[in-house]
Amino acid sequence: MKPMSRHLSEAALVALLAGLLTVPILGIQIQVEGINVSLEGEPWPVVLAMIAVFVARLLQIPLKAVSGLIHITHRLSLPTHLPKAYVLLLLALVIIAAAIWPFTASRGSVDIATLALIYVMLGLGLNVVVGFAGLLDLGYVAFYAVGAYGYALLSMHFGLSFWECLPLCVIMAATTGCLLGFPVLRLRGDYLAIVTLGFGEIIRLLLNNLDELTGGPDGIGNIPKPTLFGLEFARRPSIEDGTTFHEFFGLDYSGADTVIFLYLVALVMTLFILYVINRLIRMPVGRAWEALREDEIACRSLGLNPTTIKLSAFGFGASTAGFAGAFFAARQGFINPESFTFIESAIVLAIVVLGGMGSQIGVILAAIALTALPEIARQFAEYRMLIFGLVLVLMMIWRPQGLLPVTRPRLELPVRGEETS
Amino acid sequence: MNRFNRHVLSAAVSAVLLGLGGLAHAENTIKIAVAGPITGPVAQYGDMQMMGAQMAVEQLNAKGGVNGKQLEAVLIDDVCEPKQAVAVANQIVNDKIKYVVGHLCSGSTQPASKIYEDEGILMITPAATNPAITQQGYKMVFRTIGTDDQQGPTAGHYIADQIKPKQMAVIHDKQQYGQGIAEEVKKTVEAKGVKVAMFEGVNKGQTDFSALCTKMKSENIDFVYYGGYHPELGLILRQCREQGFDAGFMGPEGVGNKDISAIAGPASEGLLVTLPADFSADPANADLVKAFKDKNQDPSGPFVMPSYSAVQIIVDAIKGAKTEDPVKLAGYIHKHSFDTPIGKVAFKENGDLKEFQFVIFKWHADATKTPVK
Amino acid sequence: MLEFSQQIINGLTLGSIYALIAIGYTMVYGIIGMINFAHGEIYMVSAYIGLLTVTALTVQFGVETVPLILLFTLVVSIAITSAYGWTIERVAYRPLRGKPRLIPLISAIGMSIFLQNYVQIGQGARDLSMQPLISGGWRFGPEDGFQVYLSYMQVLIAVVTVGFMTALTLFIARSRLGRACRACSQDLTMTNLLGIDTNRVISLTFVLGAALAAVAGVLISLYIGKINPFIGFEAGIKAFTAAVLGGIGSIPGAMLGGVILGLSESFASAYLLTEYKDVVAFSLLVLVLLFRPTGLLGTPEIEKV
Repeated sequence: MKPMSRHLSEAALVALLAGLLTVPILGIQIQVEGINVSLEGEPWPVVLAMIAVFVARLLQIPLKAVSGLIHITHRLSLPTHLPKAYVLLLLALVIIAAAIWPFTASRGSVDIATLALIYVMLGLGLNVVVGFAGLLDLGYVAFYAVGAYGYALLSMHFGLSFWECLPLCVIMAATTGCLLGFPVLRLRGDYLAIVTLGFGEIIRLLLNNLDELTGGPDGIGNIPKPTLFGLEFARRPSIEDGTTFHEFFGLDYSGADTVIFLYLVALVMTLFILYVINRLIRMPVGRAWEALREDEIACRSLGLNPTTIKLSAFGFGASTAGFAGAFFAARQGFINPESFTFIESAIVLAIVVLGGMGSQIGVILAAIALTALPEIARQFAEYRMLIFGLVLVLMMIWRPQGLLPVTRPRLELPVRGEETS
Repeated sequence: MNRFNRHVLSAAVSAVLLGLGGLAHAENTIKIAVAGPITGPVAQYGDMQMMGAQMAVEQLNAKGGVNGKQLEAVLIDDVCEPKQAVAVANQIVNDKIKYVVGHLCSGSTQPASKIYEDEGILMITPAATNPAITQQGYKMVFRTIGTDDQQGPTAGHYIADQIKPKQMAVIHDKQQYGQGIAEEVKKTVEAKGVKVAMFEGVNKGQTDFSALCTKMKSENIDFVYYGGYHPELGLILRQCREQGFDAGFMGPEGVGNKDISAIAGPASEGLLVTLPADFSADPANADLVKAFKDKNQDPSGPFVMPSYSAVQIIVDAIKGAKTEDPVKLAGYIHKHSFDTPIGKVAFKENGDLKEFQFVIFKWHADATKTPVK
Repeated sequence: MLEFSQQIINGLTLGSIYALIAIGYTMVYGIIGMINFAHGEIYMVSAYIGLLTVTALTVQFGVETVPLILLFTLVVSIAITSAYGWTIERVAYRPLRGKPRLIPLISAIGMSIFLQNYVQIGQGARDLSMQPLISGGWRFGPEDGFQVYLSYMQVLIAVVTVGFMTALTLFIARSRLGRACRACSQDLTMTNLLGIDTNRVISLTFVLGAALAAVAGVLISLYIGKINPFIGFEAGIKAFTAAVLGGIGSIPGAMLGGVILGLSESFASAYLLTEYKDVVAFSLLVLVLLFRPTGLLGTPEIEKV
């Protein structure tokens, strides 16, 4: 235990450092008025930052105790072996609740929930690539873009409907995934990450530059929304003799119907992806993904072809992104390359890591949390992304294994001292 | 569906909307959303828009508001990004605001306008000049500024008749606004026999243009038209002058901003800019100009007066049509003319102004401008 | 031919800046195998500090001696930016030492988002601009034809870059701490066992990387003259590309990568279309990695069972 004076002087030092760091950014503001530049001092933020850091440093000992508490809660994981009927019942309840909820909630929150579901789909797809197969993909957004532009272009040029385009978009994204994946998947670890990042940027720049095809930075607008068995959700039908949803059922037009319908479509799509993934990971190919992640050399020795396995995971992840992308384009009604920047890939990756790699429930929760967080923080307006960045850092420090880490059946030799800690 | 049916339907829909909006009506304010860039690289233009709209709201409120209600300007930031603009438009729908003054950039106005049209919200843009915005057959969309197919030819004729370049370059930022106007200029000058040796896009946010300058210099370009906004043109001017490339430059109102002199410094001297006529120099606006100056604001920016006028048109229409229903107001605005700081205005069927004049200015290094001709 | 040499000058100037930033990526990766995504933001912060210092000196205190302004700005910017580098490592990365590599990566992405918004809150999201401090230059070539222009600023960028690179190379090669750095990059655990404080060495790498990024930031705010809180991201990705191109983990590689990247961007916008210069840069990255995954000067890793 250090003496109090030592703590004080340390805290003072840290506060001084905080002062040094914040003075040029928060303390002095550069004012540009026309062609004149001037400086304006603003001492309060700096003083506040220094006091905050000073206090935080002094309270470090109690804080450590708190983080110890968090450490204890690590051990309290969910019971892993529930009876099957119980799980099914729980699942059914959750799905029913999710389906009824939009009719009771406000239009704004249903809209955000739809966005959250898009990120759930993306997270689930990337989870297969990163969480199961262990391939670090930093250009995931490229396939999302392929799906979105695929639908927008198909509907614009060939007049295909959303439901006709959906399988086509999945095929397009999967093909792109395999074409890009084939040459790069022999690279290991970080190199793969970098190449995928490069590809992601190239695709975004191409979308930006191929003006004739993609509309360049202006993007593509007037993308039709999904229809319900041919019934449109719009005030007026877009085609001659078309019927809209509210006319068919003799209801009054309400913008909220569209929002609820989009949410339900997203929910169905998410459940479909969840179902497919859960079938796949129980099949040999799914087992091979995990085996490959654990040890590539051992895998090869057992006669598995790493390239095919990686390609299947990569292609599957890409097709999920394409699936989500088509829906994104339909919901948004407008897309441009701004929606497919690197930061989008980073957010999806953050969802996967935050959820606990390989854990599907974790990914779903993380996707909802990360979409809701900026919306809840909207009242802090300009501070919301600041808080978002900070939360990412703090979560990595306090809970690097994610919200709900998966517990896998494993055999390990007991290590001395492990049980007592 | 013929037009008559459409009107009946929209009237029915608006009746529903009015019923739904009962809660909002009970309030004693009329909210007008002012959507444009508050942050981001072209926030300076947003300032002009917000300044104009807020002044209009203040002055109209001081005169007793409208029908006993006070006006409230709700400023919303779209950063001039199409993606954000869609989110902003949805937020306006959610908040049940019925009138929008905005958006500013053509790229963000276009996707947002579809939402306003669908949801029956009255939109008047004081700044977006791309012709496509009013070519969508929308009923709820107006603008209090000219279009690129007026501005482009003004610039093009001036280049071809007065400057008579031998080898010309047209550069643009590939966005709806910049590229649209660049194409108009190219079309006009080529019709008059001027050779456009280079037609090239640059990326928004790009900072190094030295290679482009070298290329223009080696192609013996003697005049450059830039379609886009000031951050890029400022850097192009600065880097090209540095390399000793001394061709003349010209740009649309998106570059006519004091910041271009802050970026380019002495290199901005002699730049030609097409701008709406300087309404602040109009003696009829003397009182208004004084009001801005009293608040230490500059009323000479190209979007200040159009933005003021947009608010005034909404208010005059509410008074004249004796309703707050945006769909009826849109019909009223189509049929009437309004006295505003930008003159007496009337609208065409598509929502464009019947008349609007662009004037050519010469820009100076100290961020002032003088009219040419 | 004259145009060609002008394009080489343009490319080298750009490449010098990339190289300075790339050093930070490559050193950190070489020692702890981590992609420090927040490094681009450090460069952005330093550009702000540079602009601020120059403005303070010229506007507030009326200093007019250019070399004095330059020297003082570099010193202030390097000092504060290094403090940023040190603090970020201490707060966001050190607690994660030894965790799977994805964890620090996410933390770095979080840090990068944080810094971008932090500067945005402090200084606003707008472009800030500054008049050139150093103008003028030399012209070569015929009076009536195409003249190659070499500005004093470009020469300054080249000289400062080469100067700092040489200093860094000497430091790594000759000094005690430099030797410790090299040891750490070969085997962190072993170095630790030999009694070297590896945490200190890692801190030092972050400080050195930040210092060079600070130099790049000051130079860019003098050369381009327009900065905003978003410049860090693009420059960071480009510099990172440069580091990988040259072989990540190798310091001469980062310099080579930066220069190649700068030249290829310059040529792409000269002989193709300006809008495709970034596509060319990233395609180059992908191609190099496909055919020589360890970059131009990197040494291949052998994975043992």
